[in-house]
Amino acid sequence: MNGAWFSALGEALGEDERSEIAAYLEGLGMDAAMPVRQALDWKEASEICRKPSEERWRAEEDERGRLERGARVDPADPEWLALTEVLHGAAAVAAARGGCADAALIRVAAGAASYAAYQARLARAAGAASRHPFLRKYALYCGGRWPLGVYDHSFAIF
Amino acid sequence: MFAYPSIKTVDEFRQQPEEYQTAVRKIVRSHALNELYGAQVFDEPAIRLAPTPYAKWLTCRVAMEEYHHHVRFKELADQIGVRPEEMDIKRKRPLNIFEVPLESWEQFCVIKMLGDLAEILQVEDLLHCSFVPLRNIARTTMPEEKFHAQFGLDFCVDLVETPQGRAKVQQAVNGFFPEVPKFFGAAGSKNNELYRKYGIKLRSNEDMRADYIARAKSTVEPLGISLP
Repeated sequence: MNGAWFSALGEALGEDERSEIAAYLEGLGMDAAMPVRQALDWKEASEICRKPSEERWRAEEDERGRLERGARVDPADPEWLALTEVLHGAAAVAAARGGCADAALIRVAAGAASYAAYQARLARAAGAASRHPFLRKYALYCGGRWPLGVYDHSFAIF
Repeated sequence: MFAYPSIKTVDEFRQQPEEYQTAVRKIVRSHALNELYGAQVFDEPAIRLAPTPYAKWLTCRVAMEEYHHHVRFKELADQIGVRPEEMDIKRKRPLNIFEVPLESWEQFCVIKMLGDLAEILQVEDLLHCSFVPLRNIARTTMPEEKFHAQFGLDFCVDLVETPQGRAKVQQAVNGFFPEVPKFFGAAGSKNNELYRKYGIKLRSNEDMRADYIARAKSTVEPLGISLP
């Protein structure tokens, strides 16, 4: 899937994006109406995601485990690895535009998108419906966002 | 000193003595398998152990890079005639270093700090390898290996800020470090002698092991950590 990877960071959220967030949260059994917090720069995004986000992580991992019982995705698949390199490059370009030269944080962003891409591939391989939370989260990445997770009962996104 | 000429392509490789070809195949196969084992037994499981999204995503990226290293070495292995059964991890027993069970985030950070330092030394020795395609993979891989070791060190620096954290890091070093020196192979190794004869590698196993121990010591001591 072609994406606008990391190109809309810090831009105002559209209604369709808010709908994606609600569908993602609902799909994980979380409160779809929780407040949405937007990070405005790389520094703020970094500070947010250095806090634990266990409830969301456990919900995602439970779902990943459920999907992996019926489908497998090879993490050493060259096509998949090529995508992860594209994501790393896009994160580096976006960071440079945003005045961030933190090599670790760029890898964090690339790792987040890679993991979301892995989850989306897994959901598709398992025959999940388009409303599946992994596909909704991945759509946010494709649209140039970096969903940061749930912290203090707010959904954070950059 | 006689220097083996640079072998620039896989076609030129096929014209080299069988002894040269076998030596290169052994090294490429070893790196391909080690990168895969490392990603499977340490990096991928560590995503679950990481304490925050920041650490989980960074670990995820590191795992991707390790898988990518495996793919690069495996592609070269396929080109130079390593048999598929030699690349099957179900049939090849892993090195001792990969049999340490991963149980905590602190342990993973130590494995990156000290285990990837060992990998850096192995890759360093290939930066001037006579087989240019292997040399180029080593040069491409090196910056990422350095980042992985730095990743381990940076997290260990954070962990040792508390007495409990320092105790856990020390415990992890005590458990992991004794396995690492064996990673450099036996003293007086015939394989290593061939690698140096053909300019594939530069240093003896003994020299690399001594260098590793010195560099590991200078890495951990500023953290208030000692090697067992």
